[in-house]
Parts: sequence; C-alpha cells; structure tokens
Amino acid sequence: MSLTMDPAGDEIRALEKATDWTGRRVLEIGCGEGRLTLRLASLGPAEIQALDPDSDRIKTARANLPGDERGRIKYHVAQAENLDYSPGTFDIAVLSWAL
Amino acid sequence: MVHALHEAHRVLKPSGVLIDLRPAPKHRQAGLGVGADFQSLGVMREDFTDDRAANSAVAHVLRERLFRRAFRLEFDLDRVMDSLDDFREWLDDFGSPEMAPSHEWLFKRLERAVQRAGPGYRITVRGPLILGVLRET
Repeated sequence: MSLTMDPAGDEIRALEKATDWTGRRVLEIGCGEGRLTLRLASLGPAEIQALDPDSDRIKTARANLPGDERGRIKYHVAQAENLDYSPGTFDIAVLSWAL
Repeated sequence: MVHALHEAHRVLKPSGVLIDLRPAPKHRQAGLGVGADFQSLGVMREDFTDDRAANSAVAHVLRERLFRRAFRLEFDLDRVMDSLDDFREWLDDFGSPEMAPSHEWLFKRLERAVQRAGPGYRITVRGPLILGVLRET
C-alpha cells in the first residue's frame, strides 16, 4: 500500500514544541513499525528504546532501521503494562497512539 | 491503561515528561487533494469508546498527582494515498465490521470523484491528533 503519513510534518513539529529532546533518553511505547521512532530520532535524543507488543511490527521496524541509527535506537517486543526497566531510567516517555 | 501509565511513571526520572499522542475523538474526513487543495467528500463514522477510556485513565493519574498537565496541542494529521486500492486497503484495516460501521458509501463517493478528476488524483484522510504533555510531579 502506498500511504504517506503527515506529508506536511505537522506531527514532528508538534513533538518538537512539546519538550527539549536533545541528549535525552526516550522510551517510545507503541512504536509499531517505527514510523514515528525515526522522526523522533531527528530531534536529537541520545537514545530511543522503542516497544511494541506485535513481534511482526518490531521485525519490520528493525528491518527498516538505517545502519547509522542502530546504536541509538533499539526495538523490543514488550507490553506497556510490564516494562523491563529500572525506576528512573528515562527523561521522556512517548505513548505513541498507545492509550 | 492506568497500569500502563503507572509503568511509564515508574521508569521516568523525577520531573520526567510523558507525551500522550493519539487521534482526537473527532470524525475523520476523506476526500481528494493534498494540503491546502484538500476537498472533503465525506465524514467517517467512528466509535470513540477507546478515547473515553484513555481520557479516563489520564484523569485517574492526574488525580493521583503522579503527573500534572503541562501542554496540550491539537493538529490535523493527513494520510495521503495514491489510489483507490490504497484507500480500500486502509479502510479494511480501519476497524472490524463489529466495531466500525461500513464505509462503502464513502468508497463509492470517492470512486465517482476519482472518475471525474482523472489521472493524478490523490486521496487524503484528514483527522486531528492530540498531543498531551504530562510532567511528573
């Protein structure tokens, strides 16, 4: 399917306004195939841990991850209700169409 | 949903930021054209039960004083498709027949508009997103 989401870039502009992303540790919950994850990466965080419960979507997200982002973006199959991270790990958590 | 918000709160640093990005509970429009040239041909019928549940979960953690609301923004998000087949596929993924009413009437309306428009048409589905920013208290 040929579908372009948000060709005008309104979504990423809104996220840029929301907070300072530079150098932050970010958790994205509900990353799907990583469409928004790659846009978030353009805002300059130090790290993005991106989660989705659907293993097929995570597989696609990993396949679409540019080589130069592999150190900064990590995709995991996980449920929002059971996060495998220590308390106080992240500066920013994004519920990406996940509630 | 409340459990997911509690987990997000747990893994955030003190004064961390929680961003809740999701479609606004407003009916999406479908039509032809892109950006300022968009012409709506119909309004979709959607069920907002999940949105009410999400709003209720957010209200719950605000009452618990785990977070405070810092910022809220609503803006349009466009999905642009190159063909009626793409729109059909998107529509089929939109919701199960049990959860969402049929949009065959909208497909037929778009089909007629595409025939009139000729080659080079593009289909846009436009609907607002809400970006809510919550800060840990």
